[in-house]
Amino acid sequence: MAEPGATQTLGSLASDLASTSLAMARRFAAGATLWCWSPEHPEHAQHVAVEFVHPVIVGKRALPAVAIATPGDGGADQLRPLVASGDVVLVGGGGAAAAGVSDVLRRAPAWGATTVWMGAGGRPPAGAADHVLWLADETELAVHDGRLVLLYHLLWELTHVCFEHPGLLGADGACEEATTCITCSDEGRLAEVLAPASDGATVRTAAGIEDIDTTMVGDVHRGDLLLVHAGTAITLVEGGP
Amino acid sequence: MKFVDEYRDPAAARVLVARIRELAGEDSFKFMEVCGGHTHTIYRHGIEHVLPQNVELVHGPGCPVCVIPMGRVDDAIAVAETPGVIFTSFGDMMRVPGGHGNLLEAKARGADVRFVYSPLDALRIAVEHPDREVVFFAVGFETTAPSTAVTLLRARDADVRNFSVFCNHVTIVPPLKAILESPDLRLDGFLGPGHVSTVVGNHPYRFVPAQYGKPLVTAGFEPLDILQAIVMLLTQIREGRCQVENQYTRIVRDEGNPRALKMLAEVFELRPHFEWRGLGFISQSALKLRPELAPWDAELRFAVPGVRVADPKACQCGEVLKGVIKPWECKVFGTACTPETPIGTCMVSSEGACAAYYNFGRLHREAAVTLGRASA
Repeated sequence: MAEPGATQTLGSLASDLASTSLAMARRFAAGATLWCWSPEHPEHAQHVAVEFVHPVIVGKRALPAVAIATPGDGGADQLRPLVASGDVVLVGGGGAAAAGVSDVLRRAPAWGATTVWMGAGGRPPAGAADHVLWLADETELAVHDGRLVLLYHLLWELTHVCFEHPGLLGADGACEEATTCITCSDEGRLAEVLAPASDGATVRTAAGIEDIDTTMVGDVHRGDLLLVHAGTAITLVEGGP
Repeated sequence: MKFVDEYRDPAAARVLVARIRELAGEDSFKFMEVCGGHTHTIYRHGIEHVLPQNVELVHGPGCPVCVIPMGRVDDAIAVAETPGVIFTSFGDMMRVPGGHGNLLEAKARGADVRFVYSPLDALRIAVEHPDREVVFFAVGFETTAPSTAVTLLRARDADVRNFSVFCNHVTIVPPLKAILESPDLRLDGFLGPGHVSTVVGNHPYRFVPAQYGKPLVTAGFEPLDILQAIVMLLTQIREGRCQVENQYTRIVRDEGNPRALKMLAEVFELRPHFEWRGLGFISQSALKLRPELAPWDAELRFAVPGVRVADPKACQCGEVLKGVIKPWECKVFGTACTPETPIGTCMVSSEGACAAYYNFGRLHREAAVTLGRASA
């Protein structure tokens, strides 16, 4: 049985858990794979993946989930070729690997992935990930004492609860995005440079791989993040969000 | 719309709304956003419903599709129906009504009208069809104009002579001035556009506080961006400051994009005046091609009727664009004018104020009275 304090902490995360599990259920329903990475505590990444891929409740579907094991600064390089548009990237913790974790999270929108950041300690700044599930615990003891495990068990179970309400699963905002105008919305899509060319670059965006013009931003290099409007890079995103 | 990242943390939003409530106190404030992307965010996420009643958002002429007058749409249709022409356009403009229908109807009548994602796609079509005239319908503010400029320079450098641009690019500063000089509007500040400012920077807005005494905060497109920008506007007012501030610092730099600005200057010059739907003629508010690029100017290459067409009498897009009335106060909103059968341009684009209200706001007259936002 959980400690009273632990229950109280998780109760305050109810709204975050609900929105994250619904978003994940919608992505899974559309064919997503969950990619789990926790550089400082790879056991948590493996644990999350196994819960999703091997549900212990009779009748629940197995959901595709993979844990990757790579050091803190290698996450982006390992995840880039694996993650497809529409997938979910769940990262754990940060600590000494925070820079590598942030790097993955700021690139993931260009890969078309939904991001979830889970951990304990000082809460990440707004906008660090699509969904943040964070235990307020200055000592980060929650990573080790079972509270983090309880959190992702709830995430897994609530995701399956969402599958019991199929009417919810089709209402993905992505359908709505398609109706947005390029000019009226002042569109700016995040793109990651795959290969620079003489007068442009091949980039990856949430919509796929495309060739864009980079005249307005000057020389670009593999891995640079750009903002693209109407097939043209309008600015280099420095330092990330 | 997909932007750099997500800023939708409910807890952070609640903190910002509480701060807005605290700063506003009992006084009433009216702020205008001048970017269609902001309007879309405000309605999609119900921001207007979480703000206190005495803090009102007014939706300005930030949608470049919405401000194109009907006569220019008719001009585009006339060019599109010229034999041998492949007419290319962003999807945004396809359903915008002119005096003689829209581009989709012209396509149904047999005109070769094609959607493109980028003006560079239009140039590619021209290269692939050297026996056809390919025209690109250029619309948009300073975010979009640079991609047209890049395309024109490429067409010139490669000497692609069967390509031309029907230029309708507009600029953001003159309509701001027109609004500020409008006698029937009281505003307390502006949310400055996000990606337009990526190109032009923040300096061009300095006249807003300097000459008109109104603060302006350049804002990003996520819900927390909008709320934080409102906090920044209210903070300025409460502290007795009045200046241009940048909330969207992760993307916008004060100097903008110097390369893009240089390219714009190389390709375009200001028109003496241009008609804005609902706002009338505004001096030096639109771009045309420089004389050196005349061979690529569709207005010189084709017989463009250039007839001014008055807006339908029932349509009140002008008042909506100036923020004088809310969309639901228009006589035809949601009845004769819907996204399926738009009468006014504000109902065409999903970023138009009327379409945003219709699709997301769901705030009609009766509801507004109930909420105390309008008189019965």
